[in-house]
Amino acid sequence: MNATRRWVLTAAGLAALTGLPARPAAAQELYGPKAAGASKGGTLTFGSLVEPPALDPYHQGADARIRFTVLIYQGLFYEAASGEAMPLLAQGYTVSPDGLVYTVTLRSGVKFHTGQAMTAKDVAYSYNYLRDPKNGSPGAGDLTLVTAIDAVDDTTVRFTLSKPNAALPMTLGNKYGGVVPAGYFDAPDAKQALNQKSVGTGPFKLAEFKPNSHLALVRNEHYWEQDAPYLDRINILFVPNSASLIVALRNKRVDLALLTRPQDIQQVEKAPGLALERWPSLNQKALDLGSELAPLGDVRVRQAVALSLDREEIMRAAVGGYGKVLGTMVPAMQERWGAPLDSLPNQKPDIEKAKALLAAAGHGNGLSLTLTTINGYDWMDPAAVTMKQQLARAGIDLAIRRIDLGVWIKNFQSKQMGLTFNDWATQPDPHLLFYRHFHKTPEGADFRNWANAEASALLDRGLSETDAAKRKEDYVQFQKVLAETVPTVMLFSADHVSVRSEAVQNYQQHPTGWFYGLARAYLKK
Amino acid sequence: MTRYLARRFAASVVTAVLASIVVFLIVRAVPGDVVAQMLGQTSDPAASRSLRAFFGLDQPVWVQYGSWIGAALQGDFGTSWASGRPVAMMVTDAFMVTLEIALLTLALASVVGVPLGLLSGVYEDCWPDTLIQTFNLLGLAAPVFWTGLMLLVLASSMLGWSPPLVYAAPGESLADNLSILVLPILALGLLQAAAYSQFVRQNVVSALHQDYVRTAIAKGVPARLVFFKHILRNIAIPLVTFMGLMLTQILGGVVIVESLFAIPGLGRLLLTAIQTRDYPVLQGALLVVVVAAMLVNLGVDLLYRVIDPRVRLA
Repeated sequence: MNATRRWVLTAAGLAALTGLPARPAAAQELYGPKAAGASKGGTLTFGSLVEPPALDPYHQGADARIRFTVLIYQGLFYEAASGEAMPLLAQGYTVSPDGLVYTVTLRSGVKFHTGQAMTAKDVAYSYNYLRDPKNGSPGAGDLTLVTAIDAVDDTTVRFTLSKPNAALPMTLGNKYGGVVPAGYFDAPDAKQALNQKSVGTGPFKLAEFKPNSHLALVRNEHYWEQDAPYLDRINILFVPNSASLIVALRNKRVDLALLTRPQDIQQVEKAPGLALERWPSLNQKALDLGSELAPLGDVRVRQAVALSLDREEIMRAAVGGYGKVLGTMVPAMQERWGAPLDSLPNQKPDIEKAKALLAAAGHGNGLSLTLTTINGYDWMDPAAVTMKQQLARAGIDLAIRRIDLGVWIKNFQSKQMGLTFNDWATQPDPHLLFYRHFHKTPEGADFRNWANAEASALLDRGLSETDAAKRKEDYVQFQKVLAETVPTVMLFSADHVSVRSEAVQNYQQHPTGWFYGLARAYLKK
Repeated sequence: MTRYLARRFAASVVTAVLASIVVFLIVRAVPGDVVAQMLGQTSDPAASRSLRAFFGLDQPVWVQYGSWIGAALQGDFGTSWASGRPVAMMVTDAFMVTLEIALLTLALASVVGVPLGLLSGVYEDCWPDTLIQTFNLLGLAAPVFWTGLMLLVLASSMLGWSPPLVYAAPGESLADNLSILVLPILALGLLQAAAYSQFVRQNVVSALHQDYVRTAIAKGVPARLVFFKHILRNIAIPLVTFMGLMLTQILGGVVIVESLFAIPGLGRLLLTAIQTRDYPVLQGALLVVVVAAMLVNLGVDLLYRVIDPRVRLA
């Protein structure tokens, strides 16, 4: 164990005991750090509150699917926790001077679960299948700028774009698709067969999938990484409620699980034989301010709302302190892509300034707003009540209405959401985080009717800029515009909280919530 | 009898078709569809359109219904939009699990509830009656999720035991199967037993005050004969009706225990299908619930004639 890693573990132990901030993001190693003295073999039982509807990485877009299939299928790049795309099945890549051609060299010695060697033809086939709208993949939309994918030779693939896209490596990651043998989907029952037999290149392969019951993965004997993974088998049990999961953790029927509700976390915090760890996430709980709602169209009103909020208090009420207050960037990406927090306006409560802004906007006698929350999102109710009290200090009377998720999505997509809580996550890239949400139409969706030309220009620059330092500067400037004109207030990010038996070692939770860490976990013997 | 069965069958088919229309429309009335679930809140409109066409959701509802019912009448319930598995297989597997729970619950409730009800009725207003009535009240008042949770917590804290989380069919391992089902069946069974006991008690008390019972007692008929020949026989028909109703209720209402104890039955399948807006599975599973309810009712009607040959089925 190296010094850095020892510090991380010590810090985590203290954090669990004292409520200190969550540990830093996982180190820049594929799937997390390898363990020098890891014991090999054994079966880990993982309890999951969510269940993948299916294991087809091409046609099933649910996050519950992605969490597990990242262990089975691999893309060309890995979504490093800090916000960089690291080569996975790729060995490396070059970009043409105009940014329109990416030439990717493939890793050698990669074999599919079937034992067949992977070549550039398989890679080109897989990504061409993914991007073809006729094939019905929810991942096709991420590759609309790609005009051609060709196998140059056995170990080289060329991606040609219609315009530069610096986020391309991140979109060639593991959310959708993954490399499968060329021609795989020609078989009529290919999609269904993915629930019975896996054809990926990942560290684990599918042993059994029984919906509403369990998923079993076994070590891929053809896996290309040396000395990994450590576990022989992972049994993932789908437990539909947290009470049963907590009982199972305490009774050692489950070795490892992720908990989300603070009241559940508190129940196992001091349980003997269980270790609780907090990890930064890419999730954000936000307050969106849609400009289509009359008073929110005035930037001074939006600023007044932001200045009335005490985010720390809201976070504590909403998730019991198991989170981190945000500026304009999710915690896992703050260091790599975030604007310095002290450079951002409208972040701290300032009631007098909020009142002055409201008065200048013609609301000196007060203002009534309605906040929309979504049924089933536990954090929203306490957050809404706390926010109502905070806004009242500035003279804003907040009404709260709850709606179903389906209705909320419809309102959001038709850009008629007004003032609402939002709960969303991303892949660790600023383009994927911001563009669709905030770029003006028609290029972006601009869900909050922000229509900010300066911000859109910065997002365009960030998309086409391939120099990492310049790209960061574009996004820092964008975040300053975001903070100044407040189309959204990123309130806080809820930590991922893992609970493991003491036998489980070297597990790190990836900020996406995907279970990459199982490829590095081992059982102490 | 044959004419009766033919008529009941025809009525059942009409009911099933009407129910299928209602089910088809209801599942589509729930806000959000499978595409919204798959693509999430920030979906690209072109991708949404493409996927909607892929699932046939761009067609008018009556066209969608026509395609579905046409295939269903030929035994093809389609494949799950979420998992790609055949709906018939998914629903059959889940139904067998739920049926086992329902039948075992019914057995437990009958074995516990009927004797308690008889005892309570016979000893009306005496201490056994008070004791049993207290049990009935507690059983009826406690919601099944609370009883289930309490059983789970008690088993965990007092015995250090919790049920396995992976379901095993009776054919795979009867011991595992029963250890998984013991708590959910207790949770459901105690509730049902209380209901049975209360129902039987009321009927026994009512029968004890009937003229024919008083006459039999006045004529010196032994108490055992009065009880078995006059009271029990007369409460048999309402009891069978009640059991039929309760069985239907269990079949349609096991969602909570199946979710609580991670059992892959029909209730959990329905819940998952609702969450993912998996219409083919939702339609198939709801149709099975409707047909099962109709079959139980038919079975109850046929039992009337077995219990009381004077009953004419016409």
